[in-house]
Amino acid sequence: MNGWTGHILRVNLTAKTYKIESFSEEFAQKWIGGRGFAAKILFDELTPGIDPLGPDNKFIVALGPIAGIPAPNTGKAVVAGKSPSTGGYGDGNLGTRVAEQLRKAGYDALIVEGKAAGPTMLVIEDDKVEFLPANPVWGKGTYETNDWIYAKYGKGVGVLNIGQGGENLVRYAVVRSLEGRAGGRTGMGAVMGSKLLKAIVVKGTKPIPQADPAGMKKVGTEDLREVHQVDKKTGWSIQSTNGVLAWCNEVAALPVRNFRKTHHPDAWKCDGERLNDARIATYGCPNCTMRCGITIHDEEGRESELDYENVGLLGPNLEIFDLPAIGSLNYLCDDYGIDTMSGGCVLSFYADAIDHGAVAGDYRFGDAAASKKLLGMIARREGEIGNILAEGSMRAARKFGHGSEAYAMQVKGLEVAAYNCKFIPGMALAFGVSPIGAHHKESWVITFELKQTSRESYGPEKAQKVIDLQRIRGGLFEYIVSCRFPWIELGWSLENYPKYFKLVSGLDWTLDDFWTISDRIYALMKLFWLREHPQTDRKLDYPPAVWFDPANVDTEGPIAGKHLEYDKYDGLLQHYYDLRGYDKRGIPTKATLERLGVAEEGRAAEKFGSLT
Amino acid sequence: MKITVKLIGPFVQLFGFGEKELDVPAGTTAEDLIGLVSIDKSRPKIVTRNGRAVVPGESLAEGDRVVISPIYSGG
Repeated sequence: MNGWTGHILRVNLTAKTYKIESFSEEFAQKWIGGRGFAAKILFDELTPGIDPLGPDNKFIVALGPIAGIPAPNTGKAVVAGKSPSTGGYGDGNLGTRVAEQLRKAGYDALIVEGKAAGPTMLVIEDDKVEFLPANPVWGKGTYETNDWIYAKYGKGVGVLNIGQGGENLVRYAVVRSLEGRAGGRTGMGAVMGSKLLKAIVVKGTKPIPQADPAGMKKVGTEDLREVHQVDKKTGWSIQSTNGVLAWCNEVAALPVRNFRKTHHPDAWKCDGERLNDARIATYGCPNCTMRCGITIHDEEGRESELDYENVGLLGPNLEIFDLPAIGSLNYLCDDYGIDTMSGGCVLSFYADAIDHGAVAGDYRFGDAAASKKLLGMIARREGEIGNILAEGSMRAARKFGHGSEAYAMQVKGLEVAAYNCKFIPGMALAFGVSPIGAHHKESWVITFELKQTSRESYGPEKAQKVIDLQRIRGGLFEYIVSCRFPWIELGWSLENYPKYFKLVSGLDWTLDDFWTISDRIYALMKLFWLREHPQTDRKLDYPPAVWFDPANVDTEGPIAGKHLEYDKYDGLLQHYYDLRGYDKRGIPTKATLERLGVAEEGRAAEKFGSLT
Repeated sequence: MKITVKLIGPFVQLFGFGEKELDVPAGTTAEDLIGLVSIDKSRPKIVTRNGRAVVPGESLAEGDRVVISPIYSGG
């Protein structure tokens, strides 16, 4: 079967056993890989209602047909499981040598089941699997853990590991790899931690089956060079993702003070220009053409790798504008293995809750030293407050009460990324309908809203744009498994991806064929949600209430006096449901499931929640 | 009339300034301004005036802040 190895490695940590399983060509072509494989396996194998932090959850690493193949930005893997943040399907992607090494070892996916008796490092070398003690690094951060692994196996191996955040089941703990890569902000680090799985090391030596290996090598190598040239010409990686910070500040889309403000006069101090000036090194993922990781010295003199999301949420969102201080907070999140975005939102929520009298405390916006201390308390679940904040902002708000749920900046339990949608209805919808919680990776529509329609519109064109981008960003790039940056930031044509797919698989597919796959996977993620939340309601697709609050409007600037409106947002949400073929709760109808080839999964879900 | 022009992202390095104040004739449009500050017209961009996207032919006014940015796509 060209394009796929045809095998999945299933490991059981409880029994210390493993087996190599084959999958059919039909399965491969229906779900492709990455998110598609992970969603299908988790839907089929998890019993609804299980504890995401218990031994019945499964941790999945899934790759796609072009993952690890030398071609633009293919060094990515998807990590997935039932999310401790949302209780639904959860995943994330990260740059890692695992993408290439696991496929060379002969697998398109790894399923980890059960719970180890003690801290464990899983070592996979082709057909051999070892369960080794990880006691020397249990309790250690991800940097030390990574170094410990490199010292044993060399730098060429694929590594996934967790820090104290994952070990202590922080609900937004991530999986880490390489110098600064992290993924799975839906709590996949905590899923690893719950299994006492500290690290996974992978080394492979087999060829990856391809229909036209010579053709793929030629095209892939040429395109690697060409995309890199495009990046050099456009200058995108001069400021990398943080170039957008200054723009967000100008158009009132920057998160400031727990998203209560949309811009700030000091934002320039941590913008892309200043970040580029402070750069000491640049990092990228395997097969990267446009390295986005800009490293600076933090306050303690350590190397901290920054991008827009972590600058936005650990910086202006906390009213901290000093780059080295932001770098320190970012370094700590990375070392503890907790998500920088959720970490920033949880801290800002706590400061806001104190401000509004929902809880007593002396933490304040702008206090970098106290923020560092709190991150450590969260990672260790230290004291009452560390323990509460480790649960994430949704659960912390339930604990604090006093109306604080309104300004816990999350959807379905996952904190919002660094785009302030106080008056950006389409982006608010993108956060609202993301099937894994408020993640920007699914869809991002802000320039479309400002340039190609109007910011004020709640029309169907915005719902359609969200869907179009979900099909590409949350669909294609998450199951073929490749970084979306060449396309989104440099305009590298989407038509290249069916071309790569044909070279590896021999299958001559169009982009429309891929969009059907995307819609199928989105429908399955919604069925997973229905099974876990049978009483689900469209209100779970609403963004945070504070964006609708007239008392929270900007008093000056481009959106002075503006806020989202409930009736109009609900209308926009209905446009989305209608275009998707979902019912009024946001669940695919039986007709939609039939059309997408997931009627059987619908019947399985119907045992737990109704379908229309 | 005086207006402020700000460039975003790599435009700063590529076109040689971050932010500057210009004195331009009344009736100057945003499109005219792009020529005045020597921005490559072929580059995809989004231009905002006081935080809102400009429409073609829109005239500028005294005190305006015009921001010229590459089209970001949200990382």
